[in-house]
Amino acid sequence: MVENANERGAARASRRAVLAGGVATAAITGFPYISRGFAAQTLKFWQFYGPGGGVATQDKWFVDVAKSWNDSHEVKVELVYVPNNAYMDGTKLPTAFASGSGPDLFIISPGDFLRYYNGGVLLDLTPFMEQAARDDFFPSVIANRMVDGKIYGLPYEVEPMAMYYSVDAFNEIGLTDKDVPKTWDELLSVAKKLTNAKRYGVLFETSPGYYQNFTWYPFLWEAGGDFQTKEGKSAFNSPATVQALKFWQDSINMAVAPRKPLGGGAWDSVPNIGSGYCAMQNVGIWAIAQLREGAPDFKYGVFRLPTPPGGKYLTIGGGWAFVANARGLNPKAAGEFCAWALGSPKDGSSQRIIDWCTKAKSDMPPTKSALEGGKAAFENGFLKVFTDEIYPGARAEPRMPPPVYKAISDAIQSVQLNGQSPEQAAAAASDQIDAFLSGYKGAPIL
Amino acid sequence: MRDPAAEIRKGVRAAAPSIEGGPRLSNRARERIAGYLFVAPDAIGLLIFVGGPMILSLSLGFFSVSGFGEYAFVGLGNYRRMIADPLFWRSLEVTILYVVALVPSLYVVGLGLALLVQTNSRFNTVVRSLLFMPQTVSLVVVGLVWQVLLVDKIGLFNQFGAALNLQSISWLGDPRFALFTVIGISVWFLMGFYMLIFLGGLQDIPREYYEAARIDGAGPVQSFLKITLPLLQPTSFFVLLVSTVAAVCGSQTFDLIYIMTKGGPANSTSLAIFYIYQQAFLFNEYGYAAAMASVLVVVLMAITVLLFILTRGGRFTYG
Repeated sequence: MVENANERGAARASRRAVLAGGVATAAITGFPYISRGFAAQTLKFWQFYGPGGGVATQDKWFVDVAKSWNDSHEVKVELVYVPNNAYMDGTKLPTAFASGSGPDLFIISPGDFLRYYNGGVLLDLTPFMEQAARDDFFPSVIANRMVDGKIYGLPYEVEPMAMYYSVDAFNEIGLTDKDVPKTWDELLSVAKKLTNAKRYGVLFETSPGYYQNFTWYPFLWEAGGDFQTKEGKSAFNSPATVQALKFWQDSINMAVAPRKPLGGGAWDSVPNIGSGYCAMQNVGIWAIAQLREGAPDFKYGVFRLPTPPGGKYLTIGGGWAFVANARGLNPKAAGEFCAWALGSPKDGSSQRIIDWCTKAKSDMPPTKSALEGGKAAFENGFLKVFTDEIYPGARAEPRMPPPVYKAISDAIQSVQLNGQSPEQAAAAASDQIDAFLSGYKGAPIL
Repeated sequence: MRDPAAEIRKGVRAAAPSIEGGPRLSNRARERIAGYLFVAPDAIGLLIFVGGPMILSLSLGFFSVSGFGEYAFVGLGNYRRMIADPLFWRSLEVTILYVVALVPSLYVVGLGLALLVQTNSRFNTVVRSLLFMPQTVSLVVVGLVWQVLLVDKIGLFNQFGAALNLQSISWLGDPRFALFTVIGISVWFLMGFYMLIFLGGLQDIPREYYEAARIDGAGPVQSFLKITLPLLQPTSFFVLLVSTVAAVCGSQTFDLIYIMTKGGPANSTSLAIFYIYQQAFLFNEYGYAAAMASVLVVVLMAITVLLFILTRGGRFTYG
């Protein structure tokens, strides 16, 4: 019998079809489990210090930490770089969590802590740490990452705010380091002298956002104000608030401060003070590393925030922390990683923090052991100014829910840039804060 | 003589599978089915990717959504909150101002440029390409470049002003100027696109009409008012509809605002779409954001319906 070639082909095709169908079925039904299994062995760590970032040593630090963990652990950590803009005020992280696919590990600032804690996605890291390691963190630094005595985030830096000044600009008008302003009035007066056709005397943040609030809080505190009473009511409508709002407004009205900073914003020192756009800049400790890398020949000095009449010197100590996703694929391994990296001196966490604060960046350490271990570096150069003069006045960055932050942000913006009366802005923001606090049920606002 | 078409039809009928006992479909029915099949991919796509999300978004507006998987039904709570939210009303004000300034500006500039470069010459081809060029650049890049040009005191615009003894202006940092600066940049960015649409419309107008008008003694202004504008009605309708929808949605400006002002200074560039974005992605208020988006959709639908009523469904008569 002569076999029909077409029939044979059809039979072969149908066998192929069966095989292909089988593979497709496996892909549809089985592969997700296989990929979940694989994913559980690989922790995704989202952060914004990616390859080719602003400061190469910072990217390298993250790579080294991940490599060091991966060399000694079965569950691996994979770094995922999210551009800074998309991370801080962007959609990447919120949408990932909203769609149930948040990263296993990520970094957050105190400003964002409550959003994620109240959302139930922060893992309690306390069980992964020994008591000695918990005690190693400065209480004021770890406080805003704790709820009910449990630690939900491990900071690797403290970033106090200060004032930077251009030595050349000071010399140009016959000022020396002895003339650095000590009061708000002196600051405005010196800024006026430093202002010319191409340069502003001083620079504060003007873009609305968490960072602007962060940089304004110390001025509120220095004037004796706060945003919340011990009873959980708004304390924002106060003479201190009015005074602090007016201080920033005066800098704009006197035309000694710009309405728009250059570069990424007022946190960016190289395009602003480093380029000569301003003679003094309100920026944090990280500017030492920025200027070291981006403007190595720029001569500058650092001084602590000036105070209002009768005020007490204070500054704010921000900084980012490692956190683990309680709803991730392998929360236990994620918690172990956080503790190993930053909360376990026997595993080298102190040295990691020292390296970050002194080599990769220029920050103050959040732990006593790191401060002690890195003494040589912290007592040298500009870090010594921070260690001796600026850091001792640091208060932890407040953690507050978005509606409170937004009310304060709108008050700052409307007074600083839109000429609104500070009294009216403080009263309006206070009403909004009170309205929100009366129905708030999340973790304590600090 | 053999008719090849009849032979093919015969062959197709012979090859077509017949259904035992089943009624044969009439040609009309078959055409109808074929029509539906042709439309099906689009209809299914729209249903899945537009209709579905719209219904979901509308439903989301009745819930309080944490952004971490928790949903709580709040009925009209989000809509009541919206009524009492001054920032929502402020964002609507900004949006109205933005639409009122942007849409006519785009219309006038787009049409004006199209009239200037409508004749076919090598020079005009180059100019058209140059005017369209901003469209080829990412809005993010556009925002960054303009930000540099508009820097306080030392930016190109302010240096030019200083040469004329004008005071430095903070184009993006002063609430009095920020929105109009954004509108100006939007017009600059979009004008090439609308110019092309108008060029298409202008080239559809028969040249004979202009010749006849000229013979009858009509000047350029009369020709423009009596021939060009009336015959451009369909194009104008399209431009007005598309630019209004785009302006209300902020779809062509969101990136600019995100890069250049972040909704500031003092919420002066916080369009409704930007405020919705902030509520959803910065404050995790997805339910509230969805409710505001629903209101925006209603506003858009109202504008569209109004435009359709005014133009009797986009049909135009020239008599």
